[in-house]
Amino acid sequence: MRDIVLLAFIGTILLMGFKRPFLWVLLYIYVDIVSPQLIGWGLIRSLHLSLVTFIAAFAGYVVLDSKEGSRFTLRQAIIVALLAWCGYTTLGAVFQEFAWQKWDWVWKGMFFAAFLPLALRTRLRLEAAVLVFVLSIGANAINGGMKTVFGGGGYGALTMLVDMDSGLYEGSIMSTAAIATIPLILFLARRGTIFPPSWMVWSFAAALIFACLLIPIGTNARTGLVCIAVLGVLMLRQVRHRFLFAGLAGVAMIASLPFLPAEYVERMETITGFRSDESASTRIEVWKWTYHYALANPAGGGFDAYRGNSFTYDLPEITGEGNNRQITYSEVTDEGRAYHSSYFEVLGEQGWLGLFLWLALQGLGLWQMERIRWREKAYRSDRDVFMHDLATALQHAQIIFLVGALFVGIAFQPFVFILIAMQCAVWSQWKLARKGFKPSPVAEKIGVSQEPLVS
Amino acid sequence: MLSSCRTHSLIDYFSIALTHGLIMVAAWRLLFRGDLDDERAAEPKPDKPWLKNRAGGSPDA
Repeated sequence: MRDIVLLAFIGTILLMGFKRPFLWVLLYIYVDIVSPQLIGWGLIRSLHLSLVTFIAAFAGYVVLDSKEGSRFTLRQAIIVALLAWCGYTTLGAVFQEFAWQKWDWVWKGMFFAAFLPLALRTRLRLEAAVLVFVLSIGANAINGGMKTVFGGGGYGALTMLVDMDSGLYEGSIMSTAAIATIPLILFLARRGTIFPPSWMVWSFAAALIFACLLIPIGTNARTGLVCIAVLGVLMLRQVRHRFLFAGLAGVAMIASLPFLPAEYVERMETITGFRSDESASTRIEVWKWTYHYALANPAGGGFDAYRGNSFTYDLPEITGEGNNRQITYSEVTDEGRAYHSSYFEVLGEQGWLGLFLWLALQGLGLWQMERIRWREKAYRSDRDVFMHDLATALQHAQIIFLVGALFVGIAFQPFVFILIAMQCAVWSQWKLARKGFKPSPVAEKIGVSQEPLVS
Repeated sequence: MLSSCRTHSLIDYFSIALTHGLIMVAAWRLLFRGDLDDERAAEPKPDKPWLKNRAGGSPDA
């Protein structure tokens, strides 16, 4: 049944794409995030949906679509450079088999991110991409949120649409993605034109935000709680009545405490007492190992280089209570522990150059979105509210991701690159609207060098 | 256990139906939006398009 529904859905959008080829781009965003081939049980699993929709999206743009308004931006060039560098490090990766497995999905995400801004050349396309992104994450968030309410949660126990422990179906990753999506949901509810603001849109948005907030509770992911705190701080930048918002958020938090599962509260308490927690202690040891590894191997060890790590450390254990409290240390040896941080993931796998490119990609995004926010501020008479609000939403989503990424290895997740691609498109469109068309220095040089040939 | 499995299965169907339905409605609406492919199509059309080229003159003139 699931297979039929999903295949009918994909088939219909593929057909609709013959009238509007851009729909194939949206379809790929959906496939990339939801992975419908994993949700179904039968025929759909044997189809190469990702490949088919990727070819349709790319060919649709190249062959059938107009290129008016498409620009290649600096950040897209950085994505291409990072992709090339990742390819190079994969060739010399320490763990060849695992490295190629990761390369298999990483290159697609990065290549698509370099291409997507070219296709997002009108405002409506941007809005549509944000909408499909939100609804695709929403499919998993609504599922996980409802299962949390009906008692299916727990650390590593919440099964969302697919029973697997990787990508957007892993607890910590989904928690970060779900919270990062909330600013985008709010943007669509306020400025959407495909589903214009109405009581129905706002009701759905509120329910979806609630579902997203439930994901960190259902998965018991500590990263999610940190992301919620960051979201709260970021919202203060945006809301009109800051004190009222802060007060209401505080009241909502206190009111929700009795409803939180005891297991969740216990786990969240370990955020402050991280020294006695093996998971947190391991992280610090892995980070130390990665730093020294990068010093010894400046070009990185290729994807999944963490598999070579091994370290021994003393884990503090607290026994007894009150005055009888005793701290004893036991020696723990860990091997092949994952990075538990995107920054160290990039450093260990892609070395210093890879980290520089990745940070440049992220840093430029923050700056570009801030630049748009600054130009389109409320007091400007000719302000572009749509661009301001979209840049704000994308920037907030990115900041939440960057904070969550401190504790989870999600540097190359496709949803992050889709976010980056949408930022590139916003920047490109905004620049075109504000400053008009101006050829890049490279294009100008090519033009000058070709002039004598033409005449 | 069985009822829990059944609830989870129903939740799966509900979340798939709701989000996929909304994506489908959005795609359907996009089919008929001119500004999907051309930004200029979003600009408001003149009240009397057949008079839009009459420079400087009022439509009633």
